[in-house]
Amino acid sequence: MHDDIEEILLSQEQIQQRVSELGQQLAADYVGRFPVLVSVLKGSIVFLADLVRSMPVPLSVDLMELSSYGASTESSGQVRILKDLSGPITGRDVIVVEDIIDTGLTLNYLLKYLRDRNPASVTICCLLDKPARRLAEIQIDYRGFTIPDRFVIGYGLDYDERYRNLPYIGVLRPSVYGAEPPEG
Amino acid sequence: MAATLRSGSPPRFAHQSEAELARILDFYNVEWRYEPDTFPISWNAAGAVVESFSPDFYLPEVDLYLELTTLKQSLVRRKNRKLRWLRQLYPEVRVKLFYARDFRALMVKYGRLDFLADVAAMNGNGPLNDDGGED
Repeated sequence: MHDDIEEILLSQEQIQQRVSELGQQLAADYVGRFPVLVSVLKGSIVFLADLVRSMPVPLSVDLMELSSYGASTESSGQVRILKDLSGPITGRDVIVVEDIIDTGLTLNYLLKYLRDRNPASVTICCLLDKPARRLAEIQIDYRGFTIPDRFVIGYGLDYDERYRNLPYIGVLRPSVYGAEPPEG
Repeated sequence: MAATLRSGSPPRFAHQSEAELARILDFYNVEWRYEPDTFPISWNAAGAVVESFSPDFYLPEVDLYLELTTLKQSLVRRKNRKLRWLRQLYPEVRVKLFYARDFRALMVKYGRLDFLADVAAMNGNGPLNDDGGED
């Protein structure tokens, strides 16, 4: 285990098993529909890569990148689309693939953006659901795991661009990001 | 009427953390109102309101009131009590309490530890253990 990790929340085996189940479920639900899986860079790429390989049905993939709050507070003060969809989604069945849903603010923005492009349907598939601080109402159609209110990294999730390559999902030690440990 | 920090005259926030949360909501295009409603929660024998609760934010899209407290977890007992009363008296009202630890986690998520440090320095306190305008 990496020294910066307090504990492993989800092992590589647990993740592989659940992602495989999600992929099979999606494949069954979307057979004959040629869905497009839309992911947001960068955290979701590992999950997306594993998920599509568990879906033995015709599908396409597209990627978006959005500016995040902390990096953009000095610019427009609003979300900016750093990388747009590479193809139209009008009339398509869209599956939004997310690594983690926390406040739901980014996803809420993304859903409005996608729905404005008149897809046939939009559903959400997330690996991790962390509902404790949810500020937007998000209906999650396919959920990998519901997790407690901890700072998690690995399997695509980062802190300051690190730890994305860990094969498991771990809890980052608070001392790494300079936060106080929770009070008793 | 909904507010944003980009248009009209922004409200006078009781605490910098509230202004920061408003900036985050604006950033993600989430409509919000600042302290739009006050809920009486206790009355004296004459029927006069002696205690009330005005949640900091209302998010109309999700019909959710949001109270942001910057008190340390060990000091939020009074706030929790008021919230309990609010929920008992107004069960139809959806309200969420955002604790200091939640706000701190948001700042970590957005790489804004500098903001926490600034607030702490200005208040001469530890990270988010002051409390301006708690009600």
